[in-house]
Amino acid sequence: MGGNKHKWIWLVIGAVLCLIFPLFLTLPFPRHLMIMIFLYASLGLAWNMIGGYAGQISLGHAIFFGAGAYTSTLMLMKLGVSPWVGMLVGGILSVGIAFIIGYPCFKLAGHYFAIATIAIGEIAQQWMLNWDWAGSAVGLTLPILPESLINLEFHTTKAPYYYVAFGILILAILATYGVDRSKLGYYFKAIKGDLEGARSLGINVTKYKFYALALSAFFTSICGSFYAQYVLFIDPDSVFPLMLSIIVCLVATLGGVGTVWGPVIGAFILIPISEFTRIQFGGGGKGTDLIIYGFLIMVISIYQPFGVIGITKRFKKKESP
Amino acid sequence: MLTSEIIWQTILSGVLMGCIYALVAVGLCLIWGLMEIVNFAHGEMLMLAMFTAFWAFSLYHIDPILSLPLCMILLFIIGVATYFIIIKKIIKAPFLAQILATFGLGIFLRYLAQFMFSPDFRTIKNPILSGNINLGGLFVGVPQLAASLICIATFIILYSFINKTEMGIALLATSEDREAASLMGINSDKMFALGWGIGAACLGVAGALMSNFYYIFPEVGFNFALIAYVAVALGGFGSIPGSFVAGIIIGLVEFLSGLFIAPAFKYSFVFLIYLLVVFIRPQGLWGRY
Amino acid sequence: MPLLEVQGLSKHFGGLVANDHVDLRVDKGEIIGLIGPNGAGKTTLFNCIAGFYAPTAGNVQFKGEDITGLPANEICLRGIARTFQIVRIFKDMSVLDNVMVGAFSRTNSAARAKQKALEVLDFCGLAAKKSLLAGGLTIADKKRLEFTKALATDPALLMLDEAIAGLNQTETAEAVELVKKVRESGITVLLVEHVMEVVMPISSRVVVLEYGKKIAEDTPEKVIHNEEVIKAYLGDKYHASRRAH
Repeated sequence: MGGNKHKWIWLVIGAVLCLIFPLFLTLPFPRHLMIMIFLYASLGLAWNMIGGYAGQISLGHAIFFGAGAYTSTLMLMKLGVSPWVGMLVGGILSVGIAFIIGYPCFKLAGHYFAIATIAIGEIAQQWMLNWDWAGSAVGLTLPILPESLINLEFHTTKAPYYYVAFGILILAILATYGVDRSKLGYYFKAIKGDLEGARSLGINVTKYKFYALALSAFFTSICGSFYAQYVLFIDPDSVFPLMLSIIVCLVATLGGVGTVWGPVIGAFILIPISEFTRIQFGGGGKGTDLIIYGFLIMVISIYQPFGVIGITKRFKKKESP
Repeated sequence: MLTSEIIWQTILSGVLMGCIYALVAVGLCLIWGLMEIVNFAHGEMLMLAMFTAFWAFSLYHIDPILSLPLCMILLFIIGVATYFIIIKKIIKAPFLAQILATFGLGIFLRYLAQFMFSPDFRTIKNPILSGNINLGGLFVGVPQLAASLICIATFIILYSFINKTEMGIALLATSEDREAASLMGINSDKMFALGWGIGAACLGVAGALMSNFYYIFPEVGFNFALIAYVAVALGGFGSIPGSFVAGIIIGLVEFLSGLFIAPAFKYSFVFLIYLLVVFIRPQGLWGRY
Repeated sequence: MPLLEVQGLSKHFGGLVANDHVDLRVDKGEIIGLIGPNGAGKTTLFNCIAGFYAPTAGNVQFKGEDITGLPANEICLRGIARTFQIVRIFKDMSVLDNVMVGAFSRTNSAARAKQKALEVLDFCGLAAKKSLLAGGLTIADKKRLEFTKALATDPALLMLDEAIAGLNQTETAEAVELVKKVRESGITVLLVEHVMEVVMPISSRVVVLEYGKKIAEDTPEKVIHNEEVIKAYLGDKYHASRRAH
């Protein structure tokens, strides 16, 4: 029981630190950094549901991010609906998309599934680039509304965005925790572990793969809606690109797939690297952080596919004989 | 106005481009069929081949025709090196690791190239193979025609190698049943390395040929790789001639859909083919499984 | 009413006839042994009953209901559990978690699944190893885990596919005791085995397959002396060379 108490203390300290962070650091950049970390941690956790727990490697998750961003934005611009409602609708829409693409795709194994997700992601981006009603390549600029929580827009300070992002992250962590301890989590892991074995124990594999993807899509979509409200401009290249899908996957993998804290750790490591290399290398930075990403992906997959959490587990094993 | 001339022109262009897709696909299929690992860095290796030809031309005035053997050998070495440095270590690794390892390599190479060579689009101006010729009323670019002919020739050589030579048959055996092959004294390690080398060498040839007429830039490989995945799936897992024919079919579909529907959506159609194939006939047109 | 009734089951793979009009009846409380030389179609029959293959012809009735062609997970939920020849354990999960996956087939509550899993682990003698990672177990323990997982689904019929092959003498004896214990707890057992010392002592009836057909069905003592069976296993020179493929 002593070990558990330890964990709780750290969690509480961490949560408190996160909560008071904006009170101490009032400069916009650190806040922006933390917001990005929270956002990518949530995205990583979302991807983790289908990729980490259920073992279905999706490289097209940007479709859900974009769906969320565009749904809430379009609903705001054309219907005047609050982005919170738009966020929810976007989430439901994304679950619908997960259903449509999931059911046929779940018959595919491994590499075929991954390639199918890449293909679908690319098709989605192509369509959005050509859909005039939704802004096509030009994108959508969100209307500047009076700053308020209902409008989810804040102009004088980033602090409220920070807390919303933090809130989303907490939700994602709780959801993952819930899945991890429940029948869902066990079934996801069984599907990842041995598909036929899972079937022989009564698991309707397709149904559960869908649950994983639906959960994943929902949270990814919410992040997309938040992003739109934060940046106030979206276009197919910023919310549908393959790179986004890859970074999301990397965040989860670096930290540790199939765990609750893995993606969080992954985001805390990866996002600062990305932001700092972007600053260091100035204009050409867009490429440089990706060189490091690519290298990191290779190294992790070869040497420690279980990520940082895998490394810490090994240490723990060595300590206790 | 869609005259029959334009349609035939499009068909011809599609087939010619398709031959190049075909060779790229064959390289991928060889690796995939051999060890069930997809090379997600396939496109970036093609890009490296193209840049090799470009720099050989820009810096040393070596025409792509002459640098073709150089590209082929260089890519062969890259393929073998990739096997020993990366692939060998992930043969028994979890699935995620296998996909991400080559994916990571691809990203690494792409952005390294962008950093070193800049994202600018390059071309090789006035190589030996240039200009158009008139084939019975249709205009064909000389480089495209030469490229497709050489791709076909390369395929034929490769096919004979695999089916008629001892080493080639050893390669086939290893891809069918690794353990049985090793019981017969075939070193599967060497076979895998050879497979990667030859698969990459195909890219060397295709890249050098394309540098004659295609834009050369760090992201160029991506679309070719995606088309290659579709071609391998369409042709059938493990079928090398299947991949080749499928590549040509895809070239046709791409160009025709670009003509009849909209250029912006031509890749969408290609991906649609992929989805249709894996849903309806997963073993492809000529597949083994 | 028999617990399981297979009538005229055939399974073709293209031109290959793996099962040819096989009839099989299993009554509640029996232990039925299914034997036959390699390639006789035993595992194929298993797969057809358990929903991993759809039979080409014939039907399978369980507890009086037609289950022919139902998907594998459905059949497990109906009460037939099976093990695989090459174990399909979840190697990155603990022994306890592996068994819990089986237990979840009957409940949605993690607490109840855990309780059931602990009971079954105890029954099968794996309780001490419950926190170990499944991938790190010995072969004998992996087979035991495979068995335990299946048992956790509360089956009425347990189908074992060569669950005892490859074990040493002590392990084999323990496995046999476990099978007997399972039968005593009210579960019917259908087992495929090559190890005659295992099948013969515990089976109430033995069914023999050869080339996809049933060639004998009787008590163990009578089956051993059956001429067809002896020929199928030992063969004459002609049979032996014909069987090579």
